[in-house]
Amino acid sequence: MSSQPSSVLVVDDEPALRKALRTSLIASGFEVEEARDGEEALLTARRHAFDLVLLDINMPGINGIDACRRMRGISPRAGIVMVTVRDSEDDKVRALEAGADDYVTKPFKLRELTARLRAVLRRTRVAEAVQASVLQAGKLKIDLERRLLWRGDEEVHLSPTEFDLLAFMMKHMGAPLTHIKLLRTIWGPEYGGELEYLRSYVRMLRRKIEDDPAKPEFIQTEPWVGYRFRNPSDPDSPPAEDGD
Amino acid sequence: MAGPFGGGAKIMMMTLIREEQVRDSKPRSFVKRLAVGSIAVALLTLVSYHAHIDFPSVIPLYTLLVVLQSLTGDFKSSAVISVLSAGCMDFFFTEPLFSWRIAHPLNALALVAFIVTALVITSLVSQVRKEATSATLQKDRLDRLYRLSQQLLALDPEEARGEKFLEPFHRLFGVTAISLFEADTAELHTAGYSRFDLADKTRAAYLSGDDSGDASRDSGSRVFVRCLRVRGKVTGAIGFEGLEDAAETGGSLTALTTTFIERTNAFRKASVAAAAAQTAVYRSALLDALAHEFKTPLATILAAAGGLREAGPLASAQEEMADTVENEAARLGSLTSRLLRTARLDSEEIKPRMELIDLTSLIGQIASQHSARSPERPIVLTNPHEAVEVQADPALLRLTLNQLVENACKYSKPGSVVTIAIQRGADSVAMKVSNNGSSIPSDEKGRIFERFYRGAEAKRSTSGSGLGLFVARKIALAHGGNLDLETPDGESESITFCLKIPNLKDEAYHVLTAK
Repeated sequence: MSSQPSSVLVVDDEPALRKALRTSLIASGFEVEEARDGEEALLTARRHAFDLVLLDINMPGINGIDACRRMRGISPRAGIVMVTVRDSEDDKVRALEAGADDYVTKPFKLRELTARLRAVLRRTRVAEAVQASVLQAGKLKIDLERRLLWRGDEEVHLSPTEFDLLAFMMKHMGAPLTHIKLLRTIWGPEYGGELEYLRSYVRMLRRKIEDDPAKPEFIQTEPWVGYRFRNPSDPDSPPAEDGD
Repeated sequence: MAGPFGGGAKIMMMTLIREEQVRDSKPRSFVKRLAVGSIAVALLTLVSYHAHIDFPSVIPLYTLLVVLQSLTGDFKSSAVISVLSAGCMDFFFTEPLFSWRIAHPLNALALVAFIVTALVITSLVSQVRKEATSATLQKDRLDRLYRLSQQLLALDPEEARGEKFLEPFHRLFGVTAISLFEADTAELHTAGYSRFDLADKTRAAYLSGDDSGDASRDSGSRVFVRCLRVRGKVTGAIGFEGLEDAAETGGSLTALTTTFIERTNAFRKASVAAAAAQTAVYRSALLDALAHEFKTPLATILAAAGGLREAGPLASAQEEMADTVENEAARLGSLTSRLLRTARLDSEEIKPRMELIDLTSLIGQIASQHSARSPERPIVLTNPHEAVEVQADPALLRLTLNQLVENACKYSKPGSVVTIAIQRGADSVAMKVSNNGSSIPSDEKGRIFERFYRGAEAKRSTSGSGLGLFVARKIALAHGGNLDLETPDGESESITFCLKIPNLKDEAYHVLTAK
């Protein structure tokens, strides 16, 4: 990673939260700019590019979802993390569909937030770099060109669809992937509602790659949203969601 | 001569219409009409005889008399008058005079022709009159029904209840009393004054559902009772006292009442539903606003506490306090989430999003969370080693189990053990959460699942909304299962809640979601 601190644009209508986030994120090694609402955020983003945008979903004026969509148009390379309030899975799915890279739910611990921000940052940088043909996560190793998967030294045999699904998830390691996105990417654009397909494939994949399929280490369920492939050896990998 | 007779006939016809409605007086009027007719025949005979009118000329005069008689009287009296007229003509006007014998055959033929003509006219006229009478009555009845429905329609559906609804019946149909029993509200209303316990008879008819017997139509007391039926279901009863033509009008009035009560009820249900929908919308908006209002300051506290640690090296005591602030604020956040979530589920229909989940690992997570939070109450898991997979909504199931475990901790003494057990049945899985050292008074057992209910002890010693168990059971029911209190025999110092959900195979699950 470069020594240059990453720049974050914090967009929230609550001044106290903006101030606390600015101080804390600066202390955590980020460079911080603030915006009070969606319009100001878009104006600021036009003036100069940010590495990350932390965008509240619930703001006066243009709402967070619209702001996110327009922000994507202005700075396609910025990592966007949406801040949702209620445990509304609909908000999360809409945020991801509007182009957000991840989301955090208020209230969040600072460490959780910085871990998310760093993970998103790394993912956006990897995406820019030349895509490697061999990816590794813990003891899993996948060869995208030769379509092979190893678990430790042992080769795991996957059906073509299983391989495509796992490969897609591993290429987006750490990112939340909605059901609909997975279905449309792997099965085709006419799919979207067939959650049962996806669930049964995920179940089969877990049986093949997890030590204990009931406590998955790699393929995490994001309740009501979709799945997230977690790299166990990544210190910033988000912890499994506490649905409490 | 015809003039005064005709005028009298008109008046008599009107009285006859009235008289026909009152059957008791019929024989008397027959005798009266017969007497009047006979006097008229006698007068005509006397006048014609002294005026030396011959037989051919007298026939039209008698014919005119019979026509007038049939216009005013019924068929029977007119027929008698016809025969009487023929006798008079025979006796006083045909040769030989003052004898019943008829010398000339043509005269006999003329008399027979007279009788036939008179009878035909009489029968036709009386038939026409009868039809006119019934048409008048029918028109009058329809007119009153029409005015009744107009007046009922003019009532505000909000207020068209009870006496206000009955008043137009009372006014337009001249009944002495009218009673209405509505099954929906179990309200009994009476307008007017009843001498024959109309209200009781009306309610009794609803209770028995039988309005065809003698009791419902008592001619002595002139009480007429009918059940109100909607699609075969008895929705109430209506009773009339002193209703004329009950046989003809009663049915229409009952049908009209049924229709109007249905209309009023439909209106009321629609307004209640609209109000409830509006309340749900407001409530949802309020909960969203609350979520935002509570969680933003919490996020600020967490960001500040986290930043404090990042900002500089802290002494270990300071570090510990920053941790405490962070942990407690995070806990407050998850409590808020859960409270708001429970409040939302309380007002909404719960639609679980089923996934295949492993209960053992879910319960393991919940147990370790609670152990960390309240280490003074150890949690023991039975059967924790095997995976038990069920179709359930993980977030909702977690909410329910958290509620049960939290209650078990909250309502037991420190140091007592909380047990969670999983029992697999043939077609269901039971999760049992028990604690020791507490009990629920037997009079409270039936009520703990009620919305907002909080036991006497709970009110005194702990905080809570009284929504937890209500919503927990609602979630269990939405899964096709149930949540119950298991009561051991005797006075046991333990409480066990049993959450049961169906253990559906994938196929059965598809059927459930397809519905």
